[in-house]
Amino acid sequence: MIQPQTRLNVADNSGARELMCIRIIGTSNRRYAHIGDVIVAVIKEAIPNSPLEKSEVIRAVIVRTCKELKRNNGMKIRYDDNAAVVIDQEGNPKGTRIFGAIARELRQLNFTKIVSLAPEVL
Amino acid sequence: MRLEFCWFCSSKIYPGHGIQFVRNDAKIFRFCRSKCHKNFKMKRNPRKVKWTKAYRRLHGKDMTKERKRNRPERYDRNVMENTLKAIKKIDKIRHDRAADHIAQRWKPKAAKERREARKELEQSISLIKAPLAIQSQEPAITVPKIKVKAPKQQTVEDQLMEE
Repeated sequence: MIQPQTRLNVADNSGARELMCIRIIGTSNRRYAHIGDVIVAVIKEAIPNSPLEKSEVIRAVIVRTCKELKRNNGMKIRYDDNAAVVIDQEGNPKGTRIFGAIARELRQLNFTKIVSLAPEVL
Repeated sequence: MRLEFCWFCSSKIYPGHGIQFVRNDAKIFRFCRSKCHKNFKMKRNPRKVKWTKAYRRLHGKDMTKERKRNRPERYDRNVMENTLKAIKKIDKIRHDRAADHIAQRWKPKAAKERREARKELEQSISLIKAPLAIQSQEPAITVPKIKVKAPKQQTVEDQLMEE
């Protein structure tokens, strides 16, 4: 349940550390974003000497949420933090490595590159 | 479909029940219901929480699980057939053994209760019948003689002295 002003960890090595959600891509006045949704975010914290800088506006896809993800087989999964992966306009990740577990839902949403880079898909 | 076990209470989790929590190091904790999930969030150790299977096995209240062999075996049709036939009997034996374990634990209770009842009868019979009545009527119940130090009797002289 990510909404504007939510802070998210960055799960890749693109250079950003922390993002703040500004807007959820999709229908207008959409309230919350879940795993697999694309958001517009501003970089609040970045690693020094990286291509991404603080207060840059970028797009990201949410990969982990503290709010449970419900699956069709009745399973509910909850992660430990809210995390996103920085992507470009096409949906390709900007970084080259992904950290932490990723939800299987991303494969159906055509984020195949992220899923293939992920160390653990749950 | 796979039946998992709750991380906290070790009960079976059927599909559609409970929550899975994935920690940042990708370790999965499965919980059967919110009671177990909330206890986990409180950082309680299941080995110290009395109603969990972990506690009961650790403290010898329940039979410990037999060692599970996870080595996969090559498919043999005869072995498979015999195993399927035997499952029912194996389950019954396991169930009986677990019940036996608990019955053994409760065994000394009956003898202890009898001992304590006998002791209470000897000591507190005076609550029901006066000691003299017992002595005269029912010689079968023997009340142990209790020695009581008699208070020093005031002689007539002492009484006059007080006055």
